[in-house]
Amino acid sequence: MIKNDLETVPTIRQKSLKSFNYKHWLTRLHHLILGKEADQGLIFKLVVYLILFGVAYIYLRPLIYMAVTMVKDSRDLLDPTVIWVPMRLYWGNLQTAWEALTYPSALLKSMYISSIGAIAQVVACSIAGYGFARLQFPLKKFWFVCLLLAFIIPPQLLALPDYLLFNEFKLIDTIWPFLVPAFFGHGLRGALFVIIFRQFFSTQPVALEEAARIDGAGVFRIFFRVMLPLAIPAVVVVFLFSFVWHWNDTFLQALYMGNANQIMPLSIGVNFIGTYLAMIRESGVGESALFSSLMEEPINMAACFLTFIPLIILYVYAQKWFIEGIERTGIVE
Amino acid sequence: MKSRRLKAHTIRQLEGSLFMAPWILGFLIFAAYPIVFSFVMSLFHVELRAGGLDMVWFGLENYHRILFENQNLLYNDLFPFLRKSLIMIPIIIVFSLMVSILLNQKFFGRTFFRSVFFIPVILSSGSVIQQLTFQGQGTLGFLEQLNITVVVDNYLPSSWSTPIISILESFVLVLWYSGVEILIFLAGRQTISASIYEAARIDGASPWESFWKITLPAMIPFILLNIIYCLVDLFTYPDNPLISRILTNQYDGYGINSAIIWIYFFIILMFLAVIFAVFSMVTRRYQPSVNK
Repeated sequence: MIKNDLETVPTIRQKSLKSFNYKHWLTRLHHLILGKEADQGLIFKLVVYLILFGVAYIYLRPLIYMAVTMVKDSRDLLDPTVIWVPMRLYWGNLQTAWEALTYPSALLKSMYISSIGAIAQVVACSIAGYGFARLQFPLKKFWFVCLLLAFIIPPQLLALPDYLLFNEFKLIDTIWPFLVPAFFGHGLRGALFVIIFRQFFSTQPVALEEAARIDGAGVFRIFFRVMLPLAIPAVVVVFLFSFVWHWNDTFLQALYMGNANQIMPLSIGVNFIGTYLAMIRESGVGESALFSSLMEEPINMAACFLTFIPLIILYVYAQKWFIEGIERTGIVE
Repeated sequence: MKSRRLKAHTIRQLEGSLFMAPWILGFLIFAAYPIVFSFVMSLFHVELRAGGLDMVWFGLENYHRILFENQNLLYNDLFPFLRKSLIMIPIIIVFSLMVSILLNQKFFGRTFFRSVFFIPVILSSGSVIQQLTFQGQGTLGFLEQLNITVVVDNYLPSSWSTPIISILESFVLVLWYSGVEILIFLAGRQTISASIYEAARIDGASPWESFWKITLPAMIPFILLNIIYCLVDLFTYPDNPLISRILTNQYDGYGINSAIIWIYFFIILMFLAVIFAVFSMVTRRYQPSVNK
């Protein structure tokens, strides 16, 4: 048997080398271009990168445009040959926007709203989410329907009654209208966060809690010592979402803090500058209107840049956790 | 023995109630009360005064006016918006599914692309993106060069061509809306274990087949979730024509505005009901392969 095998193998190989040489090269070429598996070939990779680069370009282009327009001065703006590369860097627009936004205090205000709101929502929504996932309480199904209702109801429906409620307690123009609902697990998209936490906790193994319970831990200890540390990925995701959405929110902030005599948070400050400049431009006469029609865009872009740069910094720091967190939460099943 | 078990049961119920108490209290104050309040308001003619609310009983008059008398109140904004979202939602879903599957593969530069593709999540909800579209950054240059809008205009009735053109013109924006959807799909894709794909490949399935036979059926719950999210997001976005009209147009009175939002809310509910019905049909068809 063995002898037989040893004899046949070389003969086959020799034969194939002689007669099928060009076929061999063809298959190698075939593998190179189309791949051994359908998802490994050169053409496939090319298409994938084409799509990826195309979409990445779409996402990055407005940002690049913003950064470029921001540093253009009046001569660059009037020069039709200058589109993507300004002739010189001009920081005046940034300075104007900085002053118009009253940047340091507005930044502080936005930071307050977003960070405290996000922390409050993480704590309250994780508690409620754990309750929905694991605990028993009366009318659980009914409350779950209420949770879904809270998720799909337009916030605009609730805006005026809430406004009147907060007005009653003299809380308008403070940050409390954002924080009080957040402490109860509501507020800006609070229902979505409760759902995320509920899904996360219900994917965790029950054995851990049972072990802790047998060891004599109460429900609070189980939650804060066992389950919450496990939920770090979900916490990161919810914190980031909540922070960003509080930061970007214009509707509620305009409602509760849109008082022009006070320092506005960044997101409505940007809108305010935009409408203000447009108003000057449309009013039509004089030097200020001319100035405004020319410098409107760069100043707006500078204000946008100042508004979202803190988010970018936060995102750069948090993105590794964020992406891992997204992968591990398995947000909803 | 029995009484003890009963006691343990009540203790559990108590613990659970204690946990849920803040949320339930919050729901009653910040959701249930405003819901009832705005429903009651929709039955009145309401004017906001410095001293408080000025209310006159209207009954169902507000609803009657919106639905049957004044077209301008609801229909003129609603129908274009509905048509637009009927086109937008499938685009967003398909696009984000495709991107998330691409991003899930191993390739050179994945970290870079992932960070770029998550930018919409931090930007799209803000006023920044409104400013950018305002400056005309929401368009794709080649559309104007190829005169696509003229072609669409010629071959479709105007009630459909207008939303299609407006989508083409803000196509970049459609992509910007899909940030969270990509995240959800990416998270969902993690729940399918790699060994299923390996087994399918050994059995001779091509990637194309394994997409249709494995990935898609397993992603159906996430597609449902994404459609719901997308729908709710589109319908409650402050930029959407109806919402912004209600927010800016206060002189009709709060009563009629809240009636509009209530009708609007029922439309959302109807949409959701249709989606759920379709999905329960689809999942029943896929049941053998979805059951893990």
